[in-house]
Amino acid sequence: MTPAMAELSGRFASILGPGGVITDPVRLRTYECDGLTYHRATPAVVVLPETAEQVAAVVRACDETGTPFVARGSGTGLSGGALPRADGVLIVTSRMRRILQVDIENRRAVVEPGVTNLAITEAARPYGYYYAPDPSSQQICSIGGNVAENSGGAHCLKYGFTVNHVLAIELVTPDGEIVQLDAMDPGYDLLGAFIGSEGTLGIATKITVRLSRAPEVVTTLLAAFRNVESGGLAVSAIIGAGIVPAAIEMMDALAIEAAEAAVRCDYPPGAGAVLIVELDGPGAEVAHQFARVERICQESGAFELRVADDPAERAAIWKGRRSAFAAVGRISPAYLVQDGVVPRTALPMVLAGIEELSARYGIRVANVFHAGDGNLHPLVLFDDGEEGAGERAEQVSSEILDLCISYGGSITGEHGVGVDKSRYMPKMFTPEDLDTMQLVRCAFDPKNLSNPGKIFPTPRLCGEAPGVRKGVHPLVASGEAELF
Amino acid sequence: MSPATPPGEALAASGVTVREAGPGDLVAGVAPRWVALPESTGEVSTVMRVAAEHHLAVVPVGAGTKLRWGPPPERCDLLVYTGRLNQVLEHVAGDLVVRVQAGVTAEALAAALGGAGQQLALDVPLEGATIGGTLAAATAGPRRLRYGMARDMLIGITVVLADGTVARSGGKVVKNVAGYDLGKLFTGSHGTLGVITEATFRLHPLPASSAWITATVPGLEDLPDVAAIAGSQLEPGAVEIDWPDLHGPVTVSVLLEGVAAEERAKAAGELMGATAVITYEPPAWWGRLPGDEFLLELRVPPGAAVRALDAVARVAGDVPVRVRGSVASSVLSLALPAGTSAPAADIFVSALRSAVAAQGGRLVVWTAPPEAASLLDRWGPVGAATLMRRVKERFDPEGRMSPGRLAVGSRRVRSERS
Amino acid sequence: MNPELIKDCVHCGFCLPACPTYSLWGEEMDSPRGRIHLMKQYVEGTPMTPEMAGHFDACLGCMACVTACPSGVRYDVLIETTRAEVERVHPRPWTDRAFRALVFGLFPYPRRLRALRLPLKLGERIMPRLRPLLERLDPRLAAMAELAPPVSPRIRLPGLVEARGERRAVVGMLTGCVQAEFFPRVNAATVRVLALEGCDVVIPQGQGCCGALSVHSGRKEEAARFARRTIETFERAGVDTVIVNAAGCGSSTKEYAELLAGDPAWATRARALRFLDLAEFLAELGPAAERHPLPITVAYHDACHLAHAQGIRSEPRALLASVPGLKLREVPDAAMCCGSAGTYNLFQPEAARDLGDRKAEQVLTVGADLLVSANPGCTMQIASAVRRRGEEIRVAHTAEVLDASLRGLSPATLGRPAQRGVRAR
Repeated sequence: MTPAMAELSGRFASILGPGGVITDPVRLRTYECDGLTYHRATPAVVVLPETAEQVAAVVRACDETGTPFVARGSGTGLSGGALPRADGVLIVTSRMRRILQVDIENRRAVVEPGVTNLAITEAARPYGYYYAPDPSSQQICSIGGNVAENSGGAHCLKYGFTVNHVLAIELVTPDGEIVQLDAMDPGYDLLGAFIGSEGTLGIATKITVRLSRAPEVVTTLLAAFRNVESGGLAVSAIIGAGIVPAAIEMMDALAIEAAEAAVRCDYPPGAGAVLIVELDGPGAEVAHQFARVERICQESGAFELRVADDPAERAAIWKGRRSAFAAVGRISPAYLVQDGVVPRTALPMVLAGIEELSARYGIRVANVFHAGDGNLHPLVLFDDGEEGAGERAEQVSSEILDLCISYGGSITGEHGVGVDKSRYMPKMFTPEDLDTMQLVRCAFDPKNLSNPGKIFPTPRLCGEAPGVRKGVHPLVASGEAELF
Repeated sequence: MSPATPPGEALAASGVTVREAGPGDLVAGVAPRWVALPESTGEVSTVMRVAAEHHLAVVPVGAGTKLRWGPPPERCDLLVYTGRLNQVLEHVAGDLVVRVQAGVTAEALAAALGGAGQQLALDVPLEGATIGGTLAAATAGPRRLRYGMARDMLIGITVVLADGTVARSGGKVVKNVAGYDLGKLFTGSHGTLGVITEATFRLHPLPASSAWITATVPGLEDLPDVAAIAGSQLEPGAVEIDWPDLHGPVTVSVLLEGVAAEERAKAAGELMGATAVITYEPPAWWGRLPGDEFLLELRVPPGAAVRALDAVARVAGDVPVRVRGSVASSVLSLALPAGTSAPAADIFVSALRSAVAAQGGRLVVWTAPPEAASLLDRWGPVGAATLMRRVKERFDPEGRMSPGRLAVGSRRVRSERS
Repeated sequence: MNPELIKDCVHCGFCLPACPTYSLWGEEMDSPRGRIHLMKQYVEGTPMTPEMAGHFDACLGCMACVTACPSGVRYDVLIETTRAEVERVHPRPWTDRAFRALVFGLFPYPRRLRALRLPLKLGERIMPRLRPLLERLDPRLAAMAELAPPVSPRIRLPGLVEARGERRAVVGMLTGCVQAEFFPRVNAATVRVLALEGCDVVIPQGQGCCGALSVHSGRKEEAARFARRTIETFERAGVDTVIVNAAGCGSSTKEYAELLAGDPAWATRARALRFLDLAEFLAELGPAAERHPLPITVAYHDACHLAHAQGIRSEPRALLASVPGLKLREVPDAAMCCGSAGTYNLFQPEAARDLGDRKAEQVLTVGADLLVSANPGCTMQIASAVRRRGEEIRVAHTAEVLDASLRGLSPATLGRPAQRGVRAR
C-alpha cells in the first residue's frame, strides 16, 4: 500500500471506525471481481459505510486526493461494472440495507442501496404490493446495483425496468455532495439519466421505489416445442394478437439440459425449446388472453402444455429458467454469459446466425432469452482446459454482439456495458454520440473519479470551464486520453 | 461562410429554408429574427452550425402549442421550426416500435399506427402538438397511470446540440442499457439542451375496448376512495378528476381498457358509488387542460392527492381556480383566470406550495399573464438545481439554447439558492 | 481442498443472502462465495493467515448455501476439508487450544457428560453469581454455561422395545451423546412413537458419539474413529435401518461412506446401513397409529442439518400437520440458521448470540404456543435468546409432539418452559 493510500485509509477509519475499513490483502482479494470473474483487480482499500454521510465523507476524501472510487452492492453484476481499481477505493453498500419506509398510501418504499431487490417485494407483500423489476438474481442483487445497471428482469416486457419504477434517489455526487433527485421535480430528468449510468455519476444512498399492486390473477404456461423455430412462431403470434404478457421466456435444448441437471425442473422430455408465458392482471382479461395464448401455442406446434395457477406450481415452472445461468456450470467446465438485444422480428435470423457461429467455431451455445423483448442470453460453453477454446468462445461471444448490432439491436439489454463491453460501444455509437454522453459525465464528475474506465472505451478528460483551456494534460500528451 | 458574414445571409446561404420572423412567431412574447424550416436532422445540424458561428440564440419549436409555457427566452434570434420533419420513418408492427421525426403530430402518428392496431400510449393534452414538443415539454395525460410518461416509452432519440453536433442514444429495441440515456435528459428540457429531431418509441396494442365509469359528487368530501380505485386489482388505465368550481361538484372518471373493460367498469362501480355511470366515450373534458392562459401544475405523492385538492380549495379564497387532472398519479392542472391580479396569484402560489411541501409536493407555473409572470417563482425549490445547471453548461456552454426557459437557466432560481 | 470443487463456483452470489454471517456482517470474506475465494487463494499458494482461518472458523456450517447454490457447489465438502486443513497448518493460541480440547474432550463422550450432571445441578443455583466471572475469564465459557440445559432425570432405555400392534419394521435407534444426556425425554418419545407406529426398536447399549461434532470441526480422524465404532455397534445389533432424531447426527451418519472413503472395506460397511431421520422414516412408513387431537399452535423451526444438509423440510411439517387440532405456523426467514450450529455457539459466542437474537425475534412474530424443531441444539439456542428478551417460549422436539398426540396427552404436557439457573439479564 502506498503511503498516500495508507493515509487515506486512516482517514476512512476515522470516518467509519476500524470495522468499516478493509486493508488486509487476503481479505481485499475477495473483492477482486463481481459476478463477472473474467476481469479482476484487487482494490487498494475497501470501505463498508453504513450511512449516506459516511459515503459522502469517503467520497469527499477521494475527491480531495484525486483517488478513483468504485461502488459495489452485492457484487452480482455480469459486465464487471463493479470491477475495483487497484489504485482506488471500493465502496461497498452491503451494510446499508435498511428498509426505511414501506408507504402503502403513496405506493412506494424508501430503502437503502444495499437492500436486496427481493427484500422490497417481501416487505410489500403483506399489503398486496410488490416491486416489479425482477432480475434473475433478485434474491441477492442490491437495489443500488439495480439503479446503477437499470436492471430489468423477466417481467420487464410488460412492466419496464428499474428506471420506470424509481421515484427518487438521494445520491452522493462524485465531489461528495448529497443531492436529491425526484421524479416530481421540474427540469431535466436527472433521475432518468442517473439510473443506468453504472456508477459513473455518483453513488445512490437512498432509493424511493414505486410499489405495484399485485395482480388479481397470475397464470403461467409452459409450452414445449420440438424446436426453437416453432417456439419463435408462437412468440410472434402472441405479440401479433395484441397481447402483452407479463413475461415470455424461451430456453433451447441445451439450456434445458443444464437446468435439468442443476435443479431437476422436470420440463417435458424431448423438448427442443420451452416457452414460459406468464399472463397477469384482472381475472377477466387474463382468462381471455390465456385461451388465445394456449391456442396460439398449439397452432405453433407445442406438443405439451402445462399451466400453473398457484405460486408453488409457478415456482416449479420458473425454477429451471431462473437457475439457467449458473446451471450451465453443470454441463460445461466454463462458459461466457452474453447479453444482446435484437428487434423481436429478427430473432429467427439471429438464432440461425448463432447456430452457424457455433458450428463454425465448434463451440456449443445454449440459448436462454427474454423472447418478448428480443433480449438474448446466449451461454457460450467451452472447456478451459482445452487449448484455444477460451479464445474461440470469446470470438463467438463477440460475433454474437456483431450480429445483434447488424440487426439494429443493442450490445446489452440488462447486464450493462461495464468494463467488459466498453470496446463495443464504438460499434453501436458514433464518436459524436459518445462525446455527447461524456458531457453528462463531465457535468457530474469532471475529475473522472467515479467508476472510471467503465462504459466508455477511451478515457477522456473533461475540459475546464467553457472557453478556458489550460496546458496539455499529461494523459493527452502520452496518448492515453483525448481531450474532451 | 465566415463569421464576418451577417447571420441573415449566412442562414440564407446554408441551403436550408429560412425566412424572416413575423408577428406570429413570438415566443412567450419575445420576437425572433429568423425562422429556419429544416427538413432533416442534417439540415437542423447545418442551421445550428451557422447559429453557433454567429452566436445566435435559438429556440426550437414544433407546432407551437406550448410556446407560451415557461419564462420568455432571455434572447431569441432564431426559431428552428421542426414541423417539416414530419415523416414516420419506421414502424415495425411485429416489434411494437416506431421511429418518427420530431415534427410528426400526435394525431398523424395515431393514424399511422392505428391501422396496425397499435398506439403510442401517450395522451397529448393539446391538439396538434408534435412529438418533439411533447417530449421537450414532457407533457402527459390521463393514461400515465398505467403506461407512464413520454420518458417511459421513449427508447431512442436523435438530437442536435447547440454547436450542430448530431447525437443519438438508445436505439430501436425496447430493452437496451448501452450508454447514457440522453432521451431522459431531453425529455422535459424545454429546448434548452438542443433540438430533438427524431424519436423512437415502444408501442402498445390498441385496447379491444374502453369503458369509462364516471361519478359526480357534491363536493370533495363525497369523493369516492380514489386510492382504493387506483390500488384495486381492476387495473384502471386512468383515474381523472374535473373540478371546474371549487365550491361546486366534483367529477371523477375511471378508464378501464381491455377485452373485459365493461365488466371491470361494472366492478369498479362498487367503489364509485351509486351515481356512477358507464360510458364508452370519454367525458368531454377528458385529457384536456382546464385552461392555458394561467396554468399551474401541482404534483404530489399519490396518497396526498385528496389532501392537496383540499389545500387548493383552502388557499384559493376568492380566486376561481379550475382543477383537472390525474388524481391517482397525482398530477393536477390548475387554471386561474387570466385576470387574476399578480399579488393574488403570488399569494396563491406560495401558499399552495407551502401547503403541499410537507408531502413533498411541487407546484410549477407553466403560463401566466405578463404581470404575474414577472412576480412569480415559476419552479419552486429544486434539489438538483446545481447539477442541472452544470448539465446545461456542458451542453450549451454559451447559453444559446432557449436561454432562461427552464429552472436551471433562471436567474431567479439561481439567486435564491446562492 | 479440491481445486476442481472450488472451480465449480461461478461467483454468482446466490449464496450470500442465505449465509448467516454475511447477513450479520455484510462482508464478502464472511460469505460462502468469499470463503471459497479464500480457499482458492490458499490452494494457489497464499499462506493460511490468522485472518483467513478466522473467516473459515466463522462459518457455521449450516449448509444453507448448498441449498441456495444453482451451480451445485459442494460447499459442505469444501468447508469440511478446509477445516481439516486449518487444523493441520494453523497454529492456534493456547487459550483456543485449551477450550477446543475441553469441548472435544467432553461432548462426544456420554459418560463424561454424565459426570458433569452433578456439578451442573449445583451450578444452577450459583450460576447467576458465577456468570460475570466466566464472562471475564472467557466469553466462550460463559456461553457454554448459559447454554447448558436444565438437568432432567435420566431415563434408561431398554435394549429392545417391541412394536405395538402389527409389526411393520425393525429399526435401530441412535441415542446420541448430548441428546441422550440432556434430552432423555426426546429419545423416550422417539422410541414410543416408533413402537406405536409398529416398529421393533433396537437400542444398542453403550453407543458413543456419531462423530458429527468432530467432522464439522475439521477433526476428521477423530470423526472416522467414532463412525467406525457406530457402524460396528449397529452391525452387531443386527439392524440395517437406523433412526436418528438429532439433525446434526443425521447428516453426519448419512455421510459415513464419504468420510470413510479412504478405506473401501469400511465404506462398504457404511453403505450397508441406512441412517434415516425420524420424520423421513415415518413419512416413508406412513401413519398407522391413531392421532389424537392436540389443540396447539406450533412454530416449526428448520434445523440446518435437517433442511439444508439432508433436504428434509416437508416431512416434519406434514407429520405435525397430520395432528388434528394442531395449527402449524411458518417462521419468517426460515432457512436462516439460529446460530447454534453444533459447537458454533461455544466457539463463536457473539455471532451465535446475534443470530439467536434475530431468530428469536422472527419466532416471536409468529405467536405460537410451542416451538418445534428436530434438533435440541436449535431449540436450546432459540429458547435462550427468547429468555434474553425477557420472554419465554415452550420448546419441543417433533417426536415429543407426535408422542403426545399418539398417547392422547394434553398439549400442556409439551415443552414446559425450562427451569433455568440463568435468567434473562
